[in-house]
Amino acid sequence: MANNQRGGGIQRPNGATQNKICQFKLVLLGESAVGKSSLVLRFVKGQFHEYQESTIGAAFLTQTVHIEETAVKFEIWDTAGQERYHSLAPMYYRGAQAAIVVYDIQNQDSFVRAQTWVKELQRQASPNIVIALAGNKADLAASRAVDYEEAKQYADENGLLFMETSAKTAVNVNEIFLAIAKKLPKNEGTGPQQNIRPSGNETNRTSGNCCSK
Amino acid sequence: MDEEYDAIVLGTGLKECILSGMLSVSGKKVLHIDRNSYYGGDTASITPLEELFAKFKQENPGEKYGRTRDWNVDLIPKFLMANGLLVKLLIHTGVTRYLEFKSVEGSYVYKQGKIAKVPVDQKEALASDLMGMFEKRRFRNFLIYVQDFREEDPKTWKDFDPSTQNMKALYEKFGLDPNTQDFTGHALALHRDDDYLAEPAVLTIRRIKLYSDSLARYGKSPYLYPMYGLGELPQGFARLSAIYGGTYMLDKPIDEIVLENGRVVGVRSGSEVAKCKQVYCDPSYVKDKVRKSGQVVRCICILDHPVANTKDALSTQIIIPQKQVGRRSDIYVSVISYTHQVSAKGWFIAMVSTTVETDNPENEIKPGLDLLGSIAQKFVSVGDYYEPTDNGLESQIFISQSYDATTHFETTCLDVLDIFKRGTGEDFDFSKIKQELGDEEQ
Ligand SMILES: Cc1cc2nc3c(=O)[nH]c(=O)nc-3n(C[C@H](O)[C@H](O)[C@H](O)COP(=O)(O)OP(=O)(O)OC[C@H]3O[C@@H](n4cnc5c(N)ncnc54)[C@H](O)[C@@H]3O)c2cc1C
Ligand SMILES: Nc1nc2c(ncn2[C@@H]2O[C@H](COP(=O)(O)OP(=O)(O)OP(=O)(O)O)[C@@H](O)[C@H]2O)c(=O)[nH]1
Ligand SMILES: [Mg+2]
Repeated sequence: MANNQRGGGIQRPNGATQNKICQFKLVLLGESAVGKSSLVLRFVKGQFHEYQESTIGAAFLTQTVHIEETAVKFEIWDTAGQERYHSLAPMYYRGAQAAIVVYDIQNQDSFVRAQTWVKELQRQASPNIVIALAGNKADLAASRAVDYEEAKQYADENGLLFMETSAKTAVNVNEIFLAIAKKLPKNEGTGPQQNIRPSGNETNRTSGNCCSK
Repeated sequence: MDEEYDAIVLGTGLKECILSGMLSVSGKKVLHIDRNSYYGGDTASITPLEELFAKFKQENPGEKYGRTRDWNVDLIPKFLMANGLLVKLLIHTGVTRYLEFKSVEGSYVYKQGKIAKVPVDQKEALASDLMGMFEKRRFRNFLIYVQDFREEDPKTWKDFDPSTQNMKALYEKFGLDPNTQDFTGHALALHRDDDYLAEPAVLTIRRIKLYSDSLARYGKSPYLYPMYGLGELPQGFARLSAIYGGTYMLDKPIDEIVLENGRVVGVRSGSEVAKCKQVYCDPSYVKDKVRKSGQVVRCICILDHPVANTKDALSTQIIIPQKQVGRRSDIYVSVISYTHQVSAKGWFIAMVSTTVETDNPENEIKPGLDLLGSIAQKFVSVGDYYEPTDNGLESQIFISQSYDATTHFETTCLDVLDIFKRGTGEDFDFSKIKQELGDEEQ
């Protein structure tokens, strides 16, 4: 996998010698049209589309951020619309070390739905998953329906990171990913696991939340 | 739901999910429905553990077996051949990216009441007590012959015509004794009965080659098993379908497949009708269009220990060749454990299965159960398997065959490719999938 450093990516602090790479699976959850794909697109490519189409054709995107000496590589999964009729496969959040649960600050229902996703993750996902709550479309605060304080309180009570974001103006987009990266355990595990992902040219890829020196 | 689709797929078993993925990738507008609230149908891995107990009408175990949501228990046991068709399909479709596998630690074969490791290299072969000294030499010559054999090069056939002469004749050419024949035919070529002896030798040579090519991939055994259970496989293909625009609805009862002039025009759920040109489904959605073709008995066993004489392996396959226990079809034992995230720490799941031959199926798997030592919990089921009564061309309803004891992933894939061809009139074009699936890597 290429180590991409694109537009929206966070640059490595000057002079730091990167000597550790950690890879994490991050999943996005939230009601349709809250801006999940837009947040990823902003974070990974530094772009925003007013008429973002529902995501087709991408398995997942990757982006790397740097925390002190460590390169944190996110493997970011979008739902591919499977959540629309409550049909998201558990495989989706299987093994995820981080999740961003998104709602639209203009839409109270999407906030309620976000809370059910949080419950679902707490029940089904790995126990030490880092969850962030994103109140998206912060640029449209004029038509706000979800109170900042209310969401903040909910997040605190449930141990979630919380920010209001805007995929359109980029406010807090890098910041939320960075906050997650900081919170993720970077020394966990005893090296790469012995798992196999078959590939055509069999350079046996092992994986896991590996930190390789 | 009130829309028009090119195809509606009913059931989210592995075959239906692969089909759904292939149809979406080919640009078809697909609606994929399951009456259950979970993915996988018969190929699901059941979680949490109390669901399995409920399914078999046994009392809720509480915390006796550790955290119940650490369990993902398959209803149908299978391993993947590392170099087999399903792995090829996973790689070509990119679905391999969603899954992780572990290599099964060892493959064993039953001989005169004991189990012996199927040797993976010359060193193990020399040390093996499957064969005597001289037999080892003959077996080695046989393996070298198979290794060097190339179908397109008659020179490598060594005065033997593999397409007209049968396997029995090839064994005789190398002077292999009945025990070696038994282990070669059943533990390497993975034949279920002895019919192959009378069939052209090339068929068995191919299978032994598949075994050794698969073995060459990851070393310990030719088999792979997915983390979190086989139920991850259909989910992976469902995600492929969704990524290419497929719409998913679980927990949606199907009340009618609507026909006009003998041809499908839609699917009804309650008062909603989704229109479509074709339906693809498993036998459970079309009881009047399938016939029963056999029965398989399976027993899921919870163990607190590895199987004896397997070097404490965390995963194994044991094959009991039919002749060893006076049967017509082999008994299979598969063992997986917490290392695959299918059970709580310290626990093992063994599955014993075979094709039903008598009216006391549970008794038929006894030789397998006897290998397991003390069994903490047992779940026995006898399942019917079904096949469609027609090819679907007239009604445009394409039905898959059940997962019987005699269906491994090879036939699963062949059935899927065949249905796809019948349904679309063309072979699946693998090049339609962006090789680097989503240019996400850039
Ligand atoms: C617990 C357990 C239970 C099993 N139960 C059964 C069972 O009831 N019945 C049964 O038949 N098998 C059974 N098997 C073995 C099974 O047949 C397969 O060997 C195993 O599941 C892996 O096969 P696959 O389908 O993943 O590999 P695949 O590559 O998809 O197929 C492997 C099978 O197809 C054959 N094959 C593949 N390519 C070719 C080719 N080009 N020419 C000829 N043959 C080819 C192989 O010999 C082999 O039998 C069982 C295995 C396990 C672990
Ligand atoms: N003003 C504003 N619009 C946004 C923002 N984020 C997303 N949008 C718009 O909201 C719409 C939906 O965004 P998507 O990113 O497609 O939402 P999604 O959650 O991925 O939706 P699904 O893929 O259908 O589940 C698009 O028209 C975006 O342009 C934002 O921060 N501000
Ligand atoms: Mg989207």
